[in-house]
Amino acid sequence: MPTMTMIQAINSALDEEMSRDERVMLLGEDVGKRGGVFLATEGLQQKYGPDRVMDSPLSEAAILGAAVGLAAHGMRPVAEIQFADYVFPGIDQLFSQAAKLRYRSGGQFTAPMVVRMPTGGGVKGGHHHSQSPEAHFAHTGGLKVVVVSTPYDTKGLLKAAIRNDDPVVFMEPKRLYRAVKEEVPSDDFLIPIGKAAIRREGNDITLVSYGGPMIETLKAAGEMVGAGVDPEVIDLRTVMPWDKEAVLGSVAKTGRLLMISEAPRMASIASEVTATVSEELFDQLLAPPLRVTGFDTPYPLAQDKLYMPTVTRILNAAKRVLDY
Amino acid sequence: MVQEKIRFQPFSGEPIRLVDEQGHWIASFEHGLPPEQLRRFYRDMLAARILDEKLVILIRTGKTSFIAPHAGHEGAQIGIAQALRRGHDWLFPYYRDMGLMLAMGLPLVEIFGQTLGNAADPAKGRQMPSHPGSKKLNVFTVCSAIASHIPPAAGAAISMKLRGSGQVTVCTFGDGATSEGDWHAGINFAAVQEAPAVFVCENNRYAISVNISKQTASENIAVKAHAYGIPGYHVDGLDVLASYFVMQEAIERARAGHGACLVELVVNRFGAHSSADDDSRYRSREELTAERQHDPLVRYQRFLEKQGLWDANWANELKLEISKELEAALQEALQAGEPNPLEMFDDVFAARPWHLEEQRQLVAEELR
Repeated sequence: MPTMTMIQAINSALDEEMSRDERVMLLGEDVGKRGGVFLATEGLQQKYGPDRVMDSPLSEAAILGAAVGLAAHGMRPVAEIQFADYVFPGIDQLFSQAAKLRYRSGGQFTAPMVVRMPTGGGVKGGHHHSQSPEAHFAHTGGLKVVVVSTPYDTKGLLKAAIRNDDPVVFMEPKRLYRAVKEEVPSDDFLIPIGKAAIRREGNDITLVSYGGPMIETLKAAGEMVGAGVDPEVIDLRTVMPWDKEAVLGSVAKTGRLLMISEAPRMASIASEVTATVSEELFDQLLAPPLRVTGFDTPYPLAQDKLYMPTVTRILNAAKRVLDY
Repeated sequence: MVQEKIRFQPFSGEPIRLVDEQGHWIASFEHGLPPEQLRRFYRDMLAARILDEKLVILIRTGKTSFIAPHAGHEGAQIGIAQALRRGHDWLFPYYRDMGLMLAMGLPLVEIFGQTLGNAADPAKGRQMPSHPGSKKLNVFTVCSAIASHIPPAAGAAISMKLRGSGQVTVCTFGDGATSEGDWHAGINFAAVQEAPAVFVCENNRYAISVNISKQTASENIAVKAHAYGIPGYHVDGLDVLASYFVMQEAIERARAGHGACLVELVVNRFGAHSSADDDSRYRSREELTAERQHDPLVRYQRFLEKQGLWDANWANELKLEISKELEAALQEALQAGEPNPLEMFDDVFAARPWHLEEQRQLVAEELR
């Protein structure tokens, strides 16, 4: 089995889906000749031609809006937004068109499209190359939202997203693009959207995270094990719809929840998950569910690493939950 | 249809007009249209006008919540509908296109169902009135967000080109839409890709209350095409035959692989912006009265009279026939009843995720 980085897994998933289904096409800024600024689409224009790997004008509204029309007409477009931070000029296309097309037409028209975007901090990108805007998408009925953390998941989830009949926002933590290599099957496999992964089984506390901070969460879990604590670690993988069954099942067992995300805290996925656990498992909880999140500031440059959940911050919060 | 020759030049100073105010055919070519087709144009324009009047009555009697009157746009809208291949080409309309919907062949019961927001609406009463659509007829469901349908129209046209489907996308919008960023984004992309898209501005010179002079410093809308490297046709949209012939040439030009273009059909808006608007606050009654002297229906009637194709008896009978047809459809739509309230949770996704299932259960229990 070959080993791959996340960026290679993306390339491999796109390649396989394009060769499987000629309706699948890519569009975005620099995705063609350049192969994408992170090289996610490297070599694909040479293989499939400029019509199926289309360099678009520098316009997120054009990319996302055209994807809606392409999808409605029968294509399976995979749009690339160069950085999640730059999705906003195209947000009306995502919110007013892609998300609502099936609903507003009573199911007559649909927009089966994938919107890939590098997300999150940790690369000294300042305000506009570091944000984690997944809550905006999750707050808009009609969009599914995936945030990956491993090369294996990335390939299986991206292929599933392309075959999904709904618009899927597919968020790729850019600091993980080349962070790890792991074995990824070279044959066809899918990971279902909406299913979490249990990364470590344990009985004392449930740590739930997704995307970039999965790294720090797993590190913190390792240190906890060294200190005699037995944590369970869940990677949500899909944040809309998130896997309530998996989270509730785990917290029912451990009685304790710590939710970790690098997105701002206010009105976040972390808030939604902890609120739901509080509502549904109130009498089984041994401690209040806590959150470790990014801060409600614009993303700072100099404090790039400090902004994101650190291992220390996760351990301190876990201690509060465990000692309650 | 193979394009025989180019009849119209883009960027004309004066709007392209084929029939003058008195109804004279003033073009340098013969129209060559058979009498039944010429009469069909009139029938559709008349039906559009009667529909508009009927929608106003529905508002006044409290049966619907909103309308966007299209009276004054009939020449443009019927010209568009007649020029494209209905059911083959795709139409991306906007909210002042109910006359166009009718001429496209949307079933009258569906039109009224959408207006009433009840179970006769194929879109299940999800949107405000004046927001219809039909997958069967390739009419993309209207979205309120101004100009947000322009990039999707470009995308559909790009798909048509990639797949060699032989189709054309026609996308309509008002003059206000031309100020939106997405208007630029969509037209630019379609132009770059040489996609078969015809963008059509129904320019009635008002975006709610804002006059065109506050919308753009351009001498007209058509000239904006120049910046995108595509032709822009400036047309008298009160002239149904000019609208039809220019649209036909634009559509067949796109179908033949010559890429996108922009057509500006200059029309009048005889009503207020919508049933929620009072246009006397910003438009003098003198101006409106003067505009009403330029009625696309009257001009076309004069043309038909000169061709010996119009007389008052025929027109009255036609009016009666259309009115009956519309009334019957309205009555049928009124019988349809409310949509199932639990359909509120359908069509968000292909299948309901757990959270929508929970929310649906909550309402189901409330209604029990």
